[in-house]
Amino acid sequence: MSEPSPPNTDRDPASGETDTSNADPALFARDLTKRYGETTALDSLDLTVDSGVVFGFLGPNGAGKTTTMRIFTGLIEPTDGEARVAGVSSENRAKLVDRIGLLPEEPPLYDELTGREQLQFAADLRDIRWETVSDRALSLCDRLDLREDLDRRIDGYSKGMRQKTAFVQAVQHDPSVVFLDEPTSGLDPRAAKTLRELILDLADSDATVFLSTHILPVVEEIADEVGVLHEGRLVAQGPIDELVASAGGAADAPSAAGSLDDGGAADGSAPESADLEDAFLSLTSREDTVWTPDS
Amino acid sequence: MNAVVRDAVTLVETEFRVRVRRVLGDRRKLVGTVSTFLLFGVFFPWLSRDGVVAFGADAAAGPVPLGPLGAAFTGLAIVCVGVGASTGFNQEAAGTVGPLVRTSVPPTAVSLARLGSELARGLSLFVLLGAVMLGFLWMGAGGPLVPAVVATGALPVLVAGLLVGRVAGDAARYANVAAGISLWVKAVAAVVLTVAFFVGTQALLRTEGAEGEGGLAAVSVPPFLPGTPMQAYAGVVTAPLGSTPTLPGTAVAAVTLTAIPLALVAAVRVETRLLFRASASETDQVSGTRGVPRPFTVGPAARVAWRYLLRTRRDPRILSHLMLVLFMGLGGFGNVIQDPGAIFDVGPAIGVIGGATLAGAAYCMNPLGDDVDQLPLLLTSADSTGVLLRGRALAGATLGLPLALGFGVPLAAVGESPLFAVWLAVIAVVLIFAGAGVALGIGAVAPKFEQYEYMSVERPHPSNYAIFGYLMGVLLTGGIGFVLAGRLATGAPGVLVTTALTVYLAVVGAAGWGGYVYANRRFDALTLDDF
Repeated sequence: MSEPSPPNTDRDPASGETDTSNADPALFARDLTKRYGETTALDSLDLTVDSGVVFGFLGPNGAGKTTTMRIFTGLIEPTDGEARVAGVSSENRAKLVDRIGLLPEEPPLYDELTGREQLQFAADLRDIRWETVSDRALSLCDRLDLREDLDRRIDGYSKGMRQKTAFVQAVQHDPSVVFLDEPTSGLDPRAAKTLRELILDLADSDATVFLSTHILPVVEEIADEVGVLHEGRLVAQGPIDELVASAGGAADAPSAAGSLDDGGAADGSAPESADLEDAFLSLTSREDTVWTPDS
Repeated sequence: MNAVVRDAVTLVETEFRVRVRRVLGDRRKLVGTVSTFLLFGVFFPWLSRDGVVAFGADAAAGPVPLGPLGAAFTGLAIVCVGVGASTGFNQEAAGTVGPLVRTSVPPTAVSLARLGSELARGLSLFVLLGAVMLGFLWMGAGGPLVPAVVATGALPVLVAGLLVGRVAGDAARYANVAAGISLWVKAVAAVVLTVAFFVGTQALLRTEGAEGEGGLAAVSVPPFLPGTPMQAYAGVVTAPLGSTPTLPGTAVAAVTLTAIPLALVAAVRVETRLLFRASASETDQVSGTRGVPRPFTVGPAARVAWRYLLRTRRDPRILSHLMLVLFMGLGGFGNVIQDPGAIFDVGPAIGVIGGATLAGAAYCMNPLGDDVDQLPLLLTSADSTGVLLRGRALAGATLGLPLALGFGVPLAAVGESPLFAVWLAVIAVVLIFAGAGVALGIGAVAPKFEQYEYMSVERPHPSNYAIFGYLMGVLLTGGIGFVLAGRLATGAPGVLVTTALTVYLAVVGAAGWGGYVYANRRFDALTLDDF
């Protein structure tokens, strides 16, 4: 696996603040580790994601995906290492919140508010006037068929409507990096399709989308790049076709697995029969990619 | 039937293990549980030690004083009915394994297990208390006969009280679930019932004779039924000590014993029905977005405050933890209800101290703890939790100010003097905002993130100890404020009083500011790792 590109961590000597110019990758992690007692949830993660891409973050249950997302969004602190979002340390919450939007797996909504009040509340938290973001928010609601239900109480919403509301809440302020944890969970096929289109629109507008999901066809359809996490370690990262090719080639030569840059098919293309699911299963079942405390 | 009982016993054992592990695994819970047992089982009996010892001596010498024994049995029955009703209404037992249990064992077993678990928990409170009281009786009587007789008489009252209370609580819960009435109507009904229960109990158990004379011997139950039932019952159970049983007493004993199996069957049946009954109206479903009105439009914190108030308007269960404050303020309410003229004496205190209590206790005792499900939004949206904390303080002050300035201060103006009322208003405003700040600080010291059921509402309620401590602080600080307002209202306050007022306002204000700043720092550093 290649070393991550170092971010622009130049600091302004006067203010001590990091220069968050475009030279910074959207996401950068170096030696990122999270331990809970004896359990290592995330083990020395190195990761760089450029701006304007949809990054699919894959891994089996308990691989550390949510932990990674929580560290990047400042919800938990790493045990070791560093994480930066658009040049801002994940531990600098005051600056971080300007750059990020988060849709966690459980939509963080207040049941007693209406959808519109919830979106207004989220804007208030960011000290943004509702009038400033309402056009964008309502446009998103239109595309998600949520507009007519915005004045209903959230406790009367279906799971899909809650998910849509939380998605709009996460992106209405036009963040530069959006973290989505299972965003299509609970959505009907039409809404899921619309959401995938919206995610692509976000990337087109130069936002970076960090997409954690188990639904591999969604990733295959919209992700520019993927990372596969297994037992707390990043076992692969790169464009999907290279990942598939790598895994396909590695199926014949297991010891080559684990890095897109280091291995894969000789011509860089995937075997005809291989797809992302095969690659995922291959990458997450190999003994040589599995980290154990004794290894 | 054997299988049902076996399943129920298994559930009770499992529930008991879960509860014990929870208590042992959490130092705060362990300290709280031990404190409760010591308070209820040792401290309270110790207060009545002399009276109980004297009663034991009198009973051994004969004849048995039936008045105090009847009063004690009545008090026991009232407490047991209250405990039983509370557990019946809250129905929290078997909650940890609820969905699994409901689909794995017969519903009757679930109900029986809930009942058994809750009753065992309720009874556990009485074990230490009973042992200590019986020990005092033994000391007074000089032998085991008197405590044995009293225990034999108390046991049916205790069990019947718990079971009858449980049925009453079940019935209230059933009505609560079945009736599609407004949550606010239910909330008001709960408050009125609580006050009525307290005042009724006070009226039922009254001390006769001059204060300080006679101790327990002067306590009696008024004859609201022919034969003063519990004294008559006491006459039956103390027959081995020489009392003469009467027909009404025998009837009461028969009713008490009969109530046990009947209430048990009724409770199991009602609770089994409740297992399959969905709530008709969990929330007040009012659609329509409400804009932020003036003056809440002035800034983000004020807009946040409005949203807390709006959520409360739609679901008053958000303030269910304030029932503890109500319980602690019942004495004042009781005085006013029994003697309406006392409104000018206690009204200003209810208004000002109640307002400051409300300002802090409503939204500030568990800031962010009761937003635990929304923390991923809050912590990734606001650059500082200060906006949330200030919003909560403003929301609390919005509730407290009208109570203080619209109720307490006018009563002070009528009952005392307009000048007193003016000074009281100044002190009230400072107390209310400072109280909210102090409450935020307390809430930051003792946040509660785990959900549990209280007053039939499952959410992360604030710590009861924190609320109790805060109320004690408000009482003390408010009391000093009343004294100062009284001295200032004399018209020509000296340098000493003026200086005292300045220091008082500075200290109270600084405490409030300090609480806010501490909470802000603490919660700005909060992560999901912290709980």
